[in-house]
Amino acid sequence: MSQSDSLSARYRSQVAELTGALDANDEAAFRSAFERLRAQLNVEFNPELKRITADAQSALRRFREQARLEVLADQEVPDARRRLAHVVKLTEEAAHRTLDLVDQSTPLIDRMSLEAAQLLEEWGLHGSRQLAVATLWPERAYESLERAVRDAERVRRFLSQMLLAQGYQDLSGQIINAVIRLVTELEMVLGQLVVLAHGEDTRRMPALKLEEMQAAASEFSRGVGPQVPGTASGEALGSQEDIDALIASVAAGN
Amino acid sequence: MSSNMKILVVDDFSTMRRIVKGLLNELGYSDITEADDGNTALPLLKNGAFDFLITDWNMPGMPGLDLLKAVRADAKLGKLPVLMLTAEAKREQIIEAAQAGVSGYVIKPFTAATLKEKIDKILASKAAA
Repeated sequence: MSQSDSLSARYRSQVAELTGALDANDEAAFRSAFERLRAQLNVEFNPELKRITADAQSALRRFREQARLEVLADQEVPDARRRLAHVVKLTEEAAHRTLDLVDQSTPLIDRMSLEAAQLLEEWGLHGSRQLAVATLWPERAYESLERAVRDAERVRRFLSQMLLAQGYQDLSGQIINAVIRLVTELEMVLGQLVVLAHGEDTRRMPALKLEEMQAAASEFSRGVGPQVPGTASGEALGSQEDIDALIASVAAGN
Repeated sequence: MSSNMKILVVDDFSTMRRIVKGLLNELGYSDITEADDGNTALPLLKNGAFDFLITDWNMPGMPGLDLLKAVRADAKLGKLPVLMLTAEAKREQIIEAAQAGVSGYVIKPFTAATLKEKIDKILASKAAA
């Protein structure tokens, strides 16, 4: 039996009854035929509807019973976000402490260098190093002063390099802040999922502004932060020389 | 002009502002003001008679690229030397910055020598113009 035959066998007589009642303008007969047709449709479609509904309820129940999801949404993901923010704060404090020490050390080394240089100069006023050593200071003291001037210059260079090395805090901070933004977004999505699983009214919740967040994140002018090996961050130039060459070529083209 | 130059350093990380300020001090520049993004930098620039701008790119509020464009679009500030000091290293970003009129572009992490070289080069080309 084809599908159309089956359809015809099942519904032709009922549709005929409906048409007959309409032609006769018999409302009671029409309603009665309509109810029979509806009952027939219910008999045919209800099992499928019941199965789908049961599957959905079962899935929702399993989802609700996933206590892990709630722990993640309520505790662990927000904790992860706070931990990352704390790391940024700690590294920032450590970098500032190092910069404070560099700031405090620089004038000390400058003074040491200056005083040693002045002593050497005064020594020079005595006419010669040999005379100065013979009359005023031992040879060892003279050499020590010369070394102090040289070492002070080296320490000053080291301090300058220590100052620059603290730039890691800016770079690592930018990378961690990008992860914090991602974790915050994940936290919002998980929160919404938990609310949905409990069948609560989501209309009172703040709307998820994912599209807005994604648009903001991908906005070109905002930048993407430091390059991280192994991540999809697009084509990046590796050296200052490459950048200089690119800037020069664009400038030449303008 | 050089050592008396009035410089504005813009970066959202206070550590980086201190580092740049420290390096500029070593290079002999002492008149340095700080701002933490383009929104705070722009009013300072408009009212402060600055000679040189060093800015990061990736900042909350107004990013460095928008600050650069705002500077170039301003009749009074249009010719201000702008050095971008940033971790943004993608080719299209650098092209965009160059087309927006950046005077120099230094990638983080950087060295004191690179910073000095770029500042000197920008000042030399400004003097020649």
